[in-house]
Amino acid sequence: MAKQAKATKSSGGDNFTRWLVIGMVTLVVATGAIFSVVGQKSKANESFSILKDFKVGPTVASTVDDANGAGITFSNGAAKTIDLWEDPQCPVCNTFEQANGEFIDDLVRTKKANVVYHVVSFLGNESVAAANAAYCAADEGRYLDFHKAMYLVQPVLENSGFYSTENLIKIGSYAGLTTSTFSDCVTKGSKLDKVRAAYESMTKYKVQGTPTVFFNGKLWERKNNAFLLEEFTAAFEAS
Amino acid sequence: MKNFNAKYQPVITLLCRLLLGSVLLVAGALKAFKPDESAGAVAAYKILPTNLAHLIGYALPWLEIAIGILLIIGLSTRFAAIVGTAVMIIFIAAIVSVWARGILIDCGCFGGGGEVDPSKASEAHRAYLMEILRDLGLALTGAYLYFFPYGRLSIEKPLQNIEEQ
Repeated sequence: MAKQAKATKSSGGDNFTRWLVIGMVTLVVATGAIFSVVGQKSKANESFSILKDFKVGPTVASTVDDANGAGITFSNGAAKTIDLWEDPQCPVCNTFEQANGEFIDDLVRTKKANVVYHVVSFLGNESVAAANAAYCAADEGRYLDFHKAMYLVQPVLENSGFYSTENLIKIGSYAGLTTSTFSDCVTKGSKLDKVRAAYESMTKYKVQGTPTVFFNGKLWERKNNAFLLEEFTAAFEAS
Repeated sequence: MKNFNAKYQPVITLLCRLLLGSVLLVAGALKAFKPDESAGAVAAYKILPTNLAHLIGYALPWLEIAIGILLIIGLSTRFAAIVGTAVMIIFIAAIVSVWARGILIDCGCFGGGGEVDPSKASEAHRAYLMEILRDLGLALTGAYLYFFPYGRLSIEKPLQNIEEQ
């Protein structure tokens, strides 16, 4: 052991070679990291191309009731009420949204049901940021549009840097949110207290995961994992 | 033991270099071209602020590749061994940290990563143990290379040996 421990001098061990190697390693790591960051940016831009033909609907006003778990509430006097619990980053919520989102949107817009969107955020910082942006959008009557656009571009992996302030504002711009009120609200995280309240209300409503649906306060126990539209529609009609 | 080491040290060094080097190279290569996965995997440990975690997620695979290549070709072995051992110790600490905090994730060691479904808790915990043991083993090969960096088939040779020959 002693022999090699002392033998620090070697054909490749002089100072010049050592710094050369350290320099090259640093160069490789830096180039790789920059390449990755740039790649990510262009990939994000690519995913925005889905939103190119995105059509926004008329604005729909909503309220946020702290007593009601701080959910985004569309109350229109209909007899039925649907409570939805979703996390912006949860992939299964996206499956749910792609299957039933259109139908629920329609219920809200045609005033066939009161819908409460509980935007919870237990999947990390980017869920919090996205939920905050969703509340900002709700303030301007564009929650439905923002929600739809956000799920269309949802990244495959959680907390991968996609739901950044910059990208959330960009999603908003496709969803008809171009005011500085919205971008300020996203940047400053003005709605974080609502986001926290919504998250904390999960225990109160005994919601353990997302997506969770209640029809008139009664938990929807689905039979099919794919969130089939027929099953959802039937459950809604029966409620 | 001392004789054994004296006799076979160059071969052991070669094997350690190839083992640690190839594991690092493969782990790095599998992640380097999926930066979003890698960034998300680091963020899932919830140790660093998200932005910093993403940056490390982008850079780490390339560091693994660079160190892996250095070890395999046997250039600046001691320096590479120090870095390799250090990252293994950091990996062990990170896994211990998530385990202790009750977070369930896929380590993302060879790609993938992110949260694990709570129903798979026991699998995740077994995986944590295996990962810790594996990284501990790799850290030990790194430590051996620190003390005996010069062996067979390496670009770098100790001067003494050259003089002896």
